[in-house]
Amino acid sequence: MQPALPLIRCQDAVRTYPMGDAAVTAVRGVTLDIVRGEYVALTGPSGCGKSTLLHLLGAVDIPSSGLVSVNGRETSAMRDREATEFRLRHIGFVFQRFYLMPTLTAAENVELPMAEAGVARRVRRARALELLGYVGLGDRSSHRPTQLSGGEQQRVAIARALANAPSLLLADEPTGELDAETGVTLLELFARLNRDGTTLVFVTHDAVVASAAQRVVRLRDGRVVSDERNR
Amino acid sequence: MLVWLLLCSASALHAQQPVGDTLRSPTFGRRPPPVRGIAIDERLAVDLRLRVGDTIQIGATAGAPTERVHIAAVYERRADPAEVARREYRVRLHLDQLQSLLALDDRVDRFAMATRGGAKGGTTDSAVARINSVAFGFRAHPSRAVAVASSRTFRVVERFHRAIGIITVVASAVFLLCLLLLSVEERRRDIAALRLVGLSRTTVVRAIVLEAALVAILGSMIGAAIGWIASIVVNSHYQAVYRTPLTFAMLTPGIFAFATSLSLVLGIGAGALAAWRLVRTPPLALMGR
Amino acid sequence: MRLTLATATLKRHPARTLLAILGIAVAAALLLDMVMLATGMSESFRSLLLTRGYQLRIAPKGTLPFDSEATIDGATAIVSALRASPDIKAVSPILGATLSILAAPIPSSFALGLEPVVQGDYQIVHGLDMRETGDVVLDGVASRTLLDRLGAHIGDTITIASGLDAQLRTSARSRRVVLRGEGRFFYVPDETPVLAIPLTALRTMLGERYRDRMSLAMAESRASDSASVEGVRTWIERTQPRITAISTETAIRQVEERLSYFRQLAFVLGAISLGIGFLLVSTLVTLSVNERRGEIAVLRAIGTQTRGVLLQVMLEGAMLTSAGVILGLGLGVVSAQWLNGILRDFPGLPASFDFFVWSAKAAWRSLALLLVSGALAGLLPAWRAASIPVARALRDEAIG
Repeated sequence: MQPALPLIRCQDAVRTYPMGDAAVTAVRGVTLDIVRGEYVALTGPSGCGKSTLLHLLGAVDIPSSGLVSVNGRETSAMRDREATEFRLRHIGFVFQRFYLMPTLTAAENVELPMAEAGVARRVRRARALELLGYVGLGDRSSHRPTQLSGGEQQRVAIARALANAPSLLLADEPTGELDAETGVTLLELFARLNRDGTTLVFVTHDAVVASAAQRVVRLRDGRVVSDERNR
Repeated sequence: MLVWLLLCSASALHAQQPVGDTLRSPTFGRRPPPVRGIAIDERLAVDLRLRVGDTIQIGATAGAPTERVHIAAVYERRADPAEVARREYRVRLHLDQLQSLLALDDRVDRFAMATRGGAKGGTTDSAVARINSVAFGFRAHPSRAVAVASSRTFRVVERFHRAIGIITVVASAVFLLCLLLLSVEERRRDIAALRLVGLSRTTVVRAIVLEAALVAILGSMIGAAIGWIASIVVNSHYQAVYRTPLTFAMLTPGIFAFATSLSLVLGIGAGALAAWRLVRTPPLALMGR
Repeated sequence: MRLTLATATLKRHPARTLLAILGIAVAAALLLDMVMLATGMSESFRSLLLTRGYQLRIAPKGTLPFDSEATIDGATAIVSALRASPDIKAVSPILGATLSILAAPIPSSFALGLEPVVQGDYQIVHGLDMRETGDVVLDGVASRTLLDRLGAHIGDTITIASGLDAQLRTSARSRRVVLRGEGRFFYVPDETPVLAIPLTALRTMLGERYRDRMSLAMAESRASDSASVEGVRTWIERTQPRITAISTETAIRQVEERLSYFRQLAFVLGAISLGIGFLLVSTLVTLSVNERRGEIAVLRAIGTQTRGVLLQVMLEGAMLTSAGVILGLGLGVVSAQWLNGILRDFPGLPASFDFFVWSAKAAWRSLALLLVSGALAGLLPAWRAASIPVARALRDEAIG
């Protein structure tokens, strides 16, 4: 049996950006392959470059050198317009601070990416309700973020990230703003998503949280120092 | 009464018999009667290219007998707002000369009188009353009453300007409040952080109000400078358009003090309102938590 | 979705939004007022001049109608020559003078000598028009002001006189006049008492010197297009060298020249209000965008194009400006009436003249300008926000 083609291929990726008069190299020649269906945690101490690497993998940022490809498309060579379109249709993002639109309801927040993709109103409304049901918030669709707890807001954010059925879900410190119990609930949702076929890559500084993933990639000073499978 | 001015160059003057020189005059045919002088206004002098010493013919109406006069003086018209938009020419003659020209005998339009007591109200009023008690076919009026009646145009313009001023002040107050509120709200996280480290509400409010006051004062200075430059431009433009020495716009110390005080009050008020809105919100709420 | 998000964003800070709308409304009101002032005077004057269809005014050489006390001699010949022209439909000669009123509460009245059949100076509002009967007692039409000041009514008889010697209390000539009707005089200020009597009667009253004089005449060209009217005007001036013929357009230009101050004021204040409106929307959008950098970064991260962010932010600016413009429309109409009332107090202003006149075309054009500038005001801050690299914005938000 041939090994599965990687969904994400990262070859010698380097990312340097200016900080005042100096230049900071956040990612120093990272090579990493992630296959479809994997559940990967990127971990390491603060400032090790894990969020920067996540941005490179998600076509949010462009490497200073090296190559990044997702689903066979070289995202590192894409211009802004193409990269944005790619993110819209193929990648879902979840952030530490949720970043829901406070003035929209939960359902409207989930609809946002679908509206941008040109999905008809009736269709996107139905899918939004379906996704909220999937994450356990079917009865909170008309609530605004200020009326939801931190964990509920993060689940709405996950539903939003899944709106256009992306092949890849990326999460940056998804449990960072949550208490331990809520964090566990969220990780269970991630596990369920992965079992249902979603490829998941998340960033965390918490080793315990990282252990929930199948594979843990540790970084230090912008380099991969270990890449282990949990199970 | 109109006085029609017929310009003839001195060289083209007919050897016409001057008015008043008859057969019985001892100088008849030998010496022309003296040519009297008139004064013309600056506008007429410029438009008809007349100078002091020029000789012209004047008559009451077109076709009427004329009188030869020389230009003894060119005078500048008073800065009278009531006359600004009028483009007529003015000349001044000796009273008897004009009466003769217009065949008016011993008539005048009006008298102007100065009382011994000067412009003091009591002296003028008693003089007016004494004259009116014996007047037959005419009335006396204090000059100030005439000024009030004849300055109606000016007062309408003044009221219009005041109305525009009110609208501008209201608009400026709204803009100032809006912009100040926005700029203070933009810094709400900074203000929340200051409150969290221990600064009191009073300190925060004082700082914001002081900042607003300084902005208002600085803005007033700049506005006054712009207004002063604008008044120079306005005056030079309209003085040229209307050919008048009248001053149309003036920035006085009083106006400057009023404008600065008003903007200071508005600025402090807007700053206080913006600050009060912020400090009444708990710091953590300002942080978005 | 964009509209939903824009509306929700504006509702997020209701006080700020309301204040911004109010600010824009004031700017819109001021802009509308200045447009009405700039266009109103010429529109009002044009409509005044064309009240009875007369497009041409004939005045003594070098003067404007009733601008001086000059009169035109040989009036009969001039009027006959004009009426003989196939291009001229009607001519109305007018003589103006001040007549004394004997045994009356007011000593004098402005009098207009007119030919009733062709006159274009008044409209009868009550009673009957005057007739040229040749009777000893004249017919007259009085203004409301004259009737009020005399305490007279339609049907009353007054005695008018000319050449009054105030000291000897004698007059050169006097006639009795029956006030047949009340007229609304178009070109005379409301506060001026006016009496219209037949032209021949007024000439007789004023004496031999005025036997064949007129102060001005109004002429109506058969063809009403401006080229034909101009042709008639040119012909009149060429054939009648002692008079000046003024077309409606020329008269408007000359009045505008005298009132140029108001047009210039209107232009300056209008430009300032447009600038202020632009500045307000621009500042509001800039601050709003600065506050939402994180949200905007997330929108970009989840797949919203730069263009989408731009449109979103510009839509917010346009919505604010639209609400302000609608409110400003109402405010502007009210303030225009107030300002017009102040300026209508100018002495010597014809009763039908207004400074602020509503012109739908001009108003919509100026408000559309404000709308467009409001949308554009959001363009630069929106562009700057959407152009920030997503990763950097997310990083900055994480640090913040």
